[in-house]
Amino acid sequence: MAAPFRCIYRPLWRVITGSGRLTVGMRNISFTENHFSATNHKTASVGSPWTLHGAVCLQRLPVISQDRNPIEEEFSGLMQQMELERSLLSDHELRLLEDAARMSRKQEEDYDSDEEEDYGDKEIVTAQDLEDAWEQKLKQFHPAQRSNGDKLDVSSSERCLADSLVLLIKQDVGSQKVWLLPQVQWKAGETLRQTAERALAHLPDVKATFLGNAPCGFYKYKYPKDIQKEGSVGAKVFFFKAVMCSPNHLPLEKNSFAWVKKDELKDFLTPEYLKQVNRFIMSL
Amino acid sequence: MNMAGIVCRTLSRVVSSQTSCCSSVVSVRHSHWFTSILSPKTSVPLRAEPKKKKKVDPRREQMMKERLKKKLKKLERVPPELIPIEDFITTAKCFDETRVREVPKLSFEETERRALLLKHWSRYKFSQHQAEMAEIKEALEAQRQALEELKIESEDLYKAAIGPDTDLFPFQHQGPCYTPPIPNYEAPDGKYNDITRVYTQ
Repeated sequence: MAAPFRCIYRPLWRVITGSGRLTVGMRNISFTENHFSATNHKTASVGSPWTLHGAVCLQRLPVISQDRNPIEEEFSGLMQQMELERSLLSDHELRLLEDAARMSRKQEEDYDSDEEEDYGDKEIVTAQDLEDAWEQKLKQFHPAQRSNGDKLDVSSSERCLADSLVLLIKQDVGSQKVWLLPQVQWKAGETLRQTAERALAHLPDVKATFLGNAPCGFYKYKYPKDIQKEGSVGAKVFFFKAVMCSPNHLPLEKNSFAWVKKDELKDFLTPEYLKQVNRFIMSL
Repeated sequence: MNMAGIVCRTLSRVVSSQTSCCSSVVSVRHSHWFTSILSPKTSVPLRAEPKKKKKVDPRREQMMKERLKKKLKKLERVPPELIPIEDFITTAKCFDETRVREVPKLSFEETERRALLLKHWSRYKFSQHQAEMAEIKEALEAQRQALEELKIESEDLYKAAIGPDTDLFPFQHQGPCYTPPIPNYEAPDGKYNDITRVYTQ
C-alpha cells in the first residue's frame, strides 16, 4: 500500500510547486503597503533589475527534551515493562532477595546465628540500606526547572527551551515597520554570506555559526510602480541559516526583537513572506 | 611348594654371601685411586687432566646451536593469539539458573492491549517519518531554487555560494538534556577505578 501511494504522491506535489513557482514571491501592486528601501539602489550586476539583500535565519536550538505525547508515554511504559519481564535478576536484586530471606529466618523462633555462613560479628549493610542512602544523595541535588512558565516574554531567548526559536527583528521597510528576519543590503565586493554576517553584527553579543556558504531560501518582491526607478524593479532577499552557539542572557529591546517558534511565526510575518520562510525553517 | 621355598632361601643366602664378598671389591673399585679390571687402560695422571679441545668439538657445538635455533623458529612461527572481543562472549552470569525472573502470566486483555498499542505506535511512527521526509524535501527544494535564482543574478556570487565552507567542521553542539544547565554549577570530582582489560599480542 505504501509503494503505490508514494508514486501518486510525487507528481501531484511537483504540480503544486510547479504552478506555485510562477506566483511565488511576487507581491501584487494593488497592495497598500509600500515596500522599498529609502537608501541608494545599487544593482547587483549591470542589467539586473533586482537589488540584493542578505538575511540571516538565526536559530536557538532546543536546550531540553520535549514532553512526550500520550501515545509516546504509553509506549515507553510498555517497553520498560517488556524489558523487565525478559531480563534476568541483577546482582543488586539477588542481594535484596538474600537479605529478605535472612530477615525471615531471623524472625523464626529456632534461629541460630551460628548456622549463618559468612556472618561473623560484623555489621551487615543490607542492600535496602544502600538504596536508601543513594536516594538521600539524589535528593540533595536540585536540578534547574524544566519550564519557566509564562514569565518570559517574546524577547527573551530563554523562552520555550524544548523548541527551536528563530530571531525576528522589526525593521523599517519604506515608511512602515515590519517584522522580518534580520536583513541588510548587499554591497559590491562581498559574498552574500558576508552580508548575512553583517546583518547579524547589529545584534549585541551573539555568537553564531553559519551552516555553509549556500543560501537556504530566497524571497523576491517588486517595488510599487511609482517608486520603481530605472534599473531596480524590486529586491531579492537570500536567507542564510545560522545556529546560536552560546546563549546570551541580556534581554533585548521588547518591541524590536522577538524569539519565536515556528507556529508563532504567522502572528508576526506577512503571508507571502511567511510562505517562503516556512519552507526552510524546520520544527523537527 | 616347600621345595621351592627352600631353594629360594638357599639361593638368597648364596647371593648375600656373594655380595658380601663383592662389597669389598666394589668399595675398592669405586675409589678413584684404584683401577678396576673393566675400566679402560689409562693411567691415573692422564685421567686427572682436562680433555684436549679437538677441532671437531666446536663444529659439533655449532651444529647443536643451529639445530636448537631452527627448533625455536619453528615454534615461533605459530600465529599470534587473537585478542578476544569481550562483547561477543556471554558471561557465565547469564547462564546462572538462580537469576531467572519469575514472570507472571499475562491476561488476555493485557496481550490484546499490547498488540493494539504496538500497531498504533507503528502507524504513529510512520506518519511522523512521512512528515519529516516531506519537511526535509521542502527545505532542499527551497535551497535549490535559491541557488538557481542566485545563478541568474550573478555567476560570481553563485560560485562563492556553492564553494565548500572550511570553517564549519569540526562542528560541535551540546544536545538537549532533560533539565536545563544550572548557571555557575561546579560539578563534584568523581573517583573511579578503571578495570578494562588490556591485551597484548
